Amino acid sequence: MKDFAIFWGCTIQARFPFLEKSTRMVLEGFNLPYRDLDGFTCCPEKSLVNNIDRGLWVLTAARNISLIDKAGVDLVSPCTGCASNLATVNSELHLSNKEKDKVNSILKEVGLEFKGKNKLRHLVPFFHDEVGIPAIKNKLLKPFNGMRIAIHYGCHMIRPSHALKNDDPLDPQKFDNLIRAMGAESVQYMTKLLCCGQGLDRVDQHENALHFARLKLKELKALKVDAMALCCPSCYLQFDNNQNLMEKEGEKFGVPILYFTELLGLAMGYKPEDLGLDSHRIEATEFLAKWERLHGELSRTTDLNRQLEEGFGIAQP
Amino acid sequence: MESLNPKLLEVCSRCGACYHICPACLNLEGYDPRAVIKDILAGTYEKWLNHKSIWQCLECHHCLEICFQHYGFENAMTAMRTLTAKKRMTPVQVKRGWDMFIKTGRLGEPAAPARKKLGLPEAAKSGAEDFKKIVKIYQERKESEARRQKTDGK
Repeated sequence: MKDFAIFWGCTIQARFPFLEKSTRMVLEGFNLPYRDLDGFTCCPEKSLVNNIDRGLWVLTAARNISLIDKAGVDLVSPCTGCASNLATVNSELHLSNKEKDKVNSILKEVGLEFKGKNKLRHLVPFFHDEVGIPAIKNKLLKPFNGMRIAIHYGCHMIRPSHALKNDDPLDPQKFDNLIRAMGAESVQYMTKLLCCGQGLDRVDQHENALHFARLKLKELKALKVDAMALCCPSCYLQFDNNQNLMEKEGEKFGVPILYFTELLGLAMGYKPEDLGLDSHRIEATEFLAKWERLHGELSRTTDLNRQLEEGFGIAQP
Repeated sequence: MESLNPKLLEVCSRCGACYHICPACLNLEGYDPRAVIKDILAGTYEKWLNHKSIWQCLECHHCLEICFQHYGFENAMTAMRTLTAKKRMTPVQVKRGWDMFIKTGRLGEPAAPARKKLGLPEAAKSGAEDFKKIVKIYQERKESEARRQKTDGK
């Protein structure tokens, strides 16, 4: 596997460093050739920068990409926004030599050049495609058999599909495959592909943001899922933080929000507190208790199966 | 902002295939992108500048994926937002975010005490200095181009 730089993005490092922790733990657990690269800035956020100054959006992203070109590594991001923004600019610059030349004439002044020759991936499809389901299954010590998990993809893990090429933009499967590989049921639900709505919180429309959070959380509460799985700090903010705000006002949902890397880390046998699960606003206590209980039951049957297998073919009447 | 394509927008104004998949169309009362597009085509879009509707597009790109023109009305919303920003009328949080971005090249600095507590290594260095340099060059070029266009216009 080619070496890759991790693009953490602003939100994870500034607001949710525990998500960085669990990501590092699973990357190290799989012994993956990742590195931290100096010099990245904001990806930048499309809904902020592109809306105000498109040229600067393209230039800033191109500069970030030129850093991996210089280092000769791929890039993987545990943030859907960053993955999507970088991939979108990458694809636009490949389509327009004029724009590419314009960007490079400025980057030259700081000794950089945009080539866009290396892969830009989101962490979830990266695990699915590059690490692979068999290798993941081999690492699991404590799978989630019997647990019911609802996946929230996060729009920018899969769209725009012409730039990301990660999965089917309207019927994605890779995150589902990973959750199933961890032993859990991926609960199918009506609002599965609905946008989280966090963007509304950034344009002074907090009530509308809560409205969106509610749509999904209400359905998941009714379906009695054990947790929601996602891999985007912005969606995480929406469902963990805003759920907590609503719970304080008396609306109870009780849906713990778990990051892809936290779930994988737990299944690999890492301790919840080492993964930073105690930093969540919505506690995962019930989720962890049920999982422990089911795991206890599961190990009893595993033991029985082992005895049956051992006896096979050598039974002496 | 990329310039808008009136031919594609004209089809948009009569289509609406994306209305059944757009999260804002489905869940926010009064959100009606075709009304904005019709006004853009008629040249009477002033009333939409900093209207709450234009900030309700979530940029989820669902419309783009389902659009048979591969266009989507996100383009129209982005155009309205850009014009709003030019008139310095954006929502407060947008302005705050932009100021931080231009000043630091990021939307938040790594939380050092929390990182230490979690046993995380020191965060990689930010590229803020180079970022500021290229922003300066970019803005100077943009201004000189605007001046040139003005003189050419005369």
